[in-house]
Amino acid sequence: MGLAKPADGKRVVLRRSTRRAILVWAFLAPSLLIFLLYRILPLLWNVVLSFEAWSPLKPAVFIGLDNYQEMLFDDDVFWQALWNTFGIIASAPIGIAIALGLALLVHSNIRGREVYRTIIFVSYPLMTVAVAIIWRWMFDERVGLINYAARSLHLVDKPIPFLNSFTWALPSVIAANIWQMLGFYMVIILSGLQTIPGNLYEAAGIDGANAFHRFIRITVPLLKPSLFLCFVIGMLNSVTSFDLIYVMTSGGPGRATEILITYIYKLGFNETRFDYAAAVTVTFFILLLGITYLANRLSGGNAGAVERE
Amino acid sequence: MDRRSVLKLGAAAAATLSQPAILRAQSSKKLSILTWNIADQEALFKEEFAEFKAAHPGVEIEWLDKKGPDLPAFYQTQLVAGTAPDIVDLQGEIWVEWAANGALLDLTPYLQADAEFAKLFNPDYMSGWVYEKKNYLVPFYVAKTLLFYNKLMFKDAGLSEPPASFDEIIKFSEAMAKAEKTGFITLNFDWLYWPLMKMNGIELLTPDLKKPAFNTPEAAAVVDRLAKATASGAINKIAWTGRWVEPNGAFSSGTVGMMQAHSASYFFVKGQGRWINRDTLGAAQAPGNWSTPTNHGFAISKSSKNPDLAFALIKLMTGNKWATKFAGIRRVLTANIEADKACLASLKEEDPLAHAVLETQLEHTDKMTGNWPLANDAQIKDAFWPELQNGLLGRKDAKTALAAAERAVTRVLRRS
Amino acid sequence: MMRQRRTWPIHLTLIAVSAVMLLPFYWVFKTSISGENIFSYPPNIIPRDPNPFYYVDVWYAIPFARYFLNSVIVSAITITANVVLNAMAGYALTQNFRGKGFVLLLFLSCMMIPFQATIIPAYLITGKLGLLDSYLGLSLPLFSTIICIFVYKAAFDAVPRSLIDAARVDGLSQWTIIWRVMLPLARSATATNVILSFIWSWNNFMWPLIVTRTPEMQTLPLGLARFLSYQEDSTGALYAFCIMVLAPGLLLFLMAQKEFVQGLSAGATKG
Repeated sequence: MGLAKPADGKRVVLRRSTRRAILVWAFLAPSLLIFLLYRILPLLWNVVLSFEAWSPLKPAVFIGLDNYQEMLFDDDVFWQALWNTFGIIASAPIGIAIALGLALLVHSNIRGREVYRTIIFVSYPLMTVAVAIIWRWMFDERVGLINYAARSLHLVDKPIPFLNSFTWALPSVIAANIWQMLGFYMVIILSGLQTIPGNLYEAAGIDGANAFHRFIRITVPLLKPSLFLCFVIGMLNSVTSFDLIYVMTSGGPGRATEILITYIYKLGFNETRFDYAAAVTVTFFILLLGITYLANRLSGGNAGAVERE
Repeated sequence: MDRRSVLKLGAAAAATLSQPAILRAQSSKKLSILTWNIADQEALFKEEFAEFKAAHPGVEIEWLDKKGPDLPAFYQTQLVAGTAPDIVDLQGEIWVEWAANGALLDLTPYLQADAEFAKLFNPDYMSGWVYEKKNYLVPFYVAKTLLFYNKLMFKDAGLSEPPASFDEIIKFSEAMAKAEKTGFITLNFDWLYWPLMKMNGIELLTPDLKKPAFNTPEAAAVVDRLAKATASGAINKIAWTGRWVEPNGAFSSGTVGMMQAHSASYFFVKGQGRWINRDTLGAAQAPGNWSTPTNHGFAISKSSKNPDLAFALIKLMTGNKWATKFAGIRRVLTANIEADKACLASLKEEDPLAHAVLETQLEHTDKMTGNWPLANDAQIKDAFWPELQNGLLGRKDAKTALAAAERAVTRVLRRS
Repeated sequence: MMRQRRTWPIHLTLIAVSAVMLLPFYWVFKTSISGENIFSYPPNIIPRDPNPFYYVDVWYAIPFARYFLNSVIVSAITITANVVLNAMAGYALTQNFRGKGFVLLLFLSCMMIPFQATIIPAYLITGKLGLLDSYLGLSLPLFSTIICIFVYKAAFDAVPRSLIDAARVDGLSQWTIIWRVMLPLARSATATNVILSFIWSWNNFMWPLIVTRTPEMQTLPLGLARFLSYQEDSTGALYAFCIMVLAPGLLLFLMAQKEFVQGLSAGATKG
C-alpha cells in the first residue's frame, strides 16, 4: 500500500497522505461550491455594501463607517432587536433539554415508541406560516384557546394579552418556536443515540453502574456531537425564525418581538435601505460567529467530535 | 456516429432551437403587469387582456400577482436585476419612495397629451399621486377611512347620532364600554388612524416636510386622553396592537361600538357578523370629515421597453368600460367618475347599506389626510408609530413618547 | 434476578407531551373540515358539520396538481443532491487534514448567514447562471446543508475506529470502506438527511417566490397566497391547504422511520 514504485519516469505515485488530501478536498468541493455561491458571495456583497450608500438604480458611494456609526450610536431599534435576539438565543437550551428528555424516553424500549416519535415530530413539517397563524390564534386575548382554557379552569379571571403585552409577547413567540422545533431536535438527538453501541451500556451495567452513571459517563459524552449540533441549530433557527415572528407579531407590540433578522428584512424591503441593512447583517453575522465559537470551545473543540483512544 | 451525421444533427438542432427565437422575434412585444393581491379578479382581467390583444396583435401580456408583504421584495429584486415588470399596481405610499429613486416613469406627459383620459378621474384622488409636480400613477381603486358604528350598542347607551367631535368619540366610547364591550377601535396601519390626530389640529410635519411638528402640548394631551381611554377599556386595545383581522374581527363580533376603517372593512365585517344589516350598522364620516385614503394605482417602470403600450393597457383597464365592470364586481370605487356613479346607482337598490358605505368614499375628498408625498414614508412610519404605540398603551407617558418619536423622526429626516 | 422496568410513568409523560404537540395540529385539521371561523368564541372542540369540500376547493382554486408536481421535482433533486454531497463532505470532515479547522469554521460560519440577507445577491447569481425560473435554480441553494453535513459527520465519527482499522487490514480500499462499512452504519443519518432536506425544500416559500416568474413553475407553498386572501380569511380552505402541504412530509417521515429504525446500532459491532 502506498509504496513508491521504482522511478520509471512515466508514472507519478502519490503518497498516501497526499492521496487522502486529494480525496478529502474532492469530497468537500461540491458543497463548498454551493456555499460559495449562495452564502459566501452574498455575505461579501453585504460586507462591501455596508461601507457604501446605495439604492437600487443609483451608483454606490463609499462612505466608510457611517452605517456602522449610525447603527451603534443612533439606532435604538438595533439595540432593542439585539437584546431580543439574545433572549431568543438563551431559550434554545430549554428546547434542547426538553428534546433530550423526550429522546431518552422515546429511545427506551417501550411499546409504541414509533407512534410517540411520529407524534412529537409532526409539528416540524408544518409550514411555519401555518404554525404562526395557529399560535397567533391560540394566544389571542379574546378568542384564543389558551385564555379560554385558563379561564374555564379558573386559573385566571381576566384574559392575558399574550401577544399584545410587552412582557408576554417574546416568551409567547419562543413557546411557539419550541413547539415547532421539539421534534426536530429529538430526531437529531435520536440519530446520535442510535449510533451509540448498545454493548457499551451492557458492559457498564455489568460493572455495576446505575442509570444515572450510564447517562453521564456514556450517553452524554457520545452525544456531544449531536448536542453541539442541536445547540448551534437551535440558536440559528430561533434567531432566523423570520416567518414565525413576521406572521405572529410582525415585531410588535412596539418592538418587543423585533429581532435582528426581522429588522434586517424590514430595513431592506420595507425601507429600501439595503446598505444599512448590510451593516446590520455583517454585525449579526459576527455576533453569531462569536457565540458559536464560544459554544465550540465549551464542548471541547472540533465541533464536539469525540476523540478516540 | 460519423462526423457527417453529427454535423447534420447539429444543424437540425440549431434550426430547432432557433425556430422559437424567430417566432419570438415576431411577437417581441411583451407586457408584464404586477398586481397587488387581487388574484380573485382573474376572469375579469382575462377579458380585459383579450380585448387589448385584439386591438394590438402580437402583444403578449404576462400577469403576476403578489400578496402585499411579498410584492415589494419581489419588485425590488426584479428592479435590481433589471427585469422590472412594465406595469405595477401599488398601494399606499410606497410609490413615492420608488418614484424618488427613479424607478417609476413620470406619467405627466401622457396625461397632458390625453386630457380626455385624465378628466375621467376624481381630481382629489389624482392629486394624491403627485410628487414634485409630477404625476406617477393612474387610479385603479380607492378607499378612505370612515366611521362605522353599531346602532344597537348606541341605542343601549342612549345615543342616537354618530359622534361629531373628538370629545364625543371619547365620551361615547366611555358610555358604551362595559364588561367585555368597548366603545371604539381603529385600524392603525398606513396612517389610517391619523384622522384622530388631524381632527385635533395635530400635524405630523411642517408644511415643507422637513421637521416634525407633532411634539406639542396639545398633541400630548390628545395622546394622553387616548391612552387613558384605552386603559379604562373605552377604546379597545386592539386599536393599537391589531393589524387587519383582529380589529375587524372584534367589530364584527358585535362588541365594539365604533370602528374607524376604510370601505374594504365593510365587506369583511359583513361576512363575519350576522348581526349586521341596514338597521344595525351605521356609516358616517369621522368628526371634521377627516379621512385617510388607502389607494391603489397603476405605475409604469422606468425600465419598461414598451411604455406607450403599457400606458395603453392602463388606459383600457381604468377606462370607463372596464372600471365600471370592475367596480360592480368588486364593490369598490375606482376614482373613475363615470364608473363610480354607475356603481353607486346600481347599489342603491341592491344593497343600500353598501351604498351608504361607498357614498362616504366620495364625499369630502378635500379633507384627506395622513397621506404625505414622502420618499421615506416607510422609515418615518417605522420611527413614529412604535413610539406612539408606547404612549397609547401606557408604556410611556404621552410627553416622553412624543419626544422619543420626535427624536426618531428627526433622525430619519436628517438623513434624506 | 430480572428487574421489571416500570414503564407507565414514561407512557404518562409521553402521552401528556403528545397531547400538547397534537392540540394545535388538531385545530388545524378541525378547521379544515368544518370551515368554522377560527376567531369565533367560544371555541368549538368538536367540529360542526364536517365536510371534505374545503379540500376540493383547494384542488380547484389553484393548479394544485401542477404545483404539487413542481414541488416533487424540486424536492427530489434536492434530496438526491443532499445525500450525495453531504455524505461526502461529512466523511471528509472525519479525516485529519491540513486546513480542517479552517473548513470547519467556514462551514459553521456559513450557517450564520441568514437567508433574508442573501436574497438579492442570490437572485443575481442565479440569473448569471441562467437558472432563473427553472427547477435547477429552485433547488440549487439547498443542494447542500451544513446541518446535514454535521449529522453525517457525527454519525461517521461514532463508527468505532477498530472497525475501520479491521477493514483496512482486510485490504479494503478507501471507497469500499465508505460504501460498505460506514454508510450502512450511518443509515439513521441518511434517513435524517432525507427527511430534513425534503422538509426544507418542500416548505421553502421565499426563494421560489423570488426566483419563479411564470405561474407554471410555482411550487406548492406559493399557492398559499391564494388562501391568505385580501380578507385574510382564516378558515376552511386555508387549513385544508396547510394539511395538504403537510401530508407528504409526514408520509415520508413515517416511511423513512420504518426503514431505518430496525435494530441499527445495537448489534453492529463486537467490541
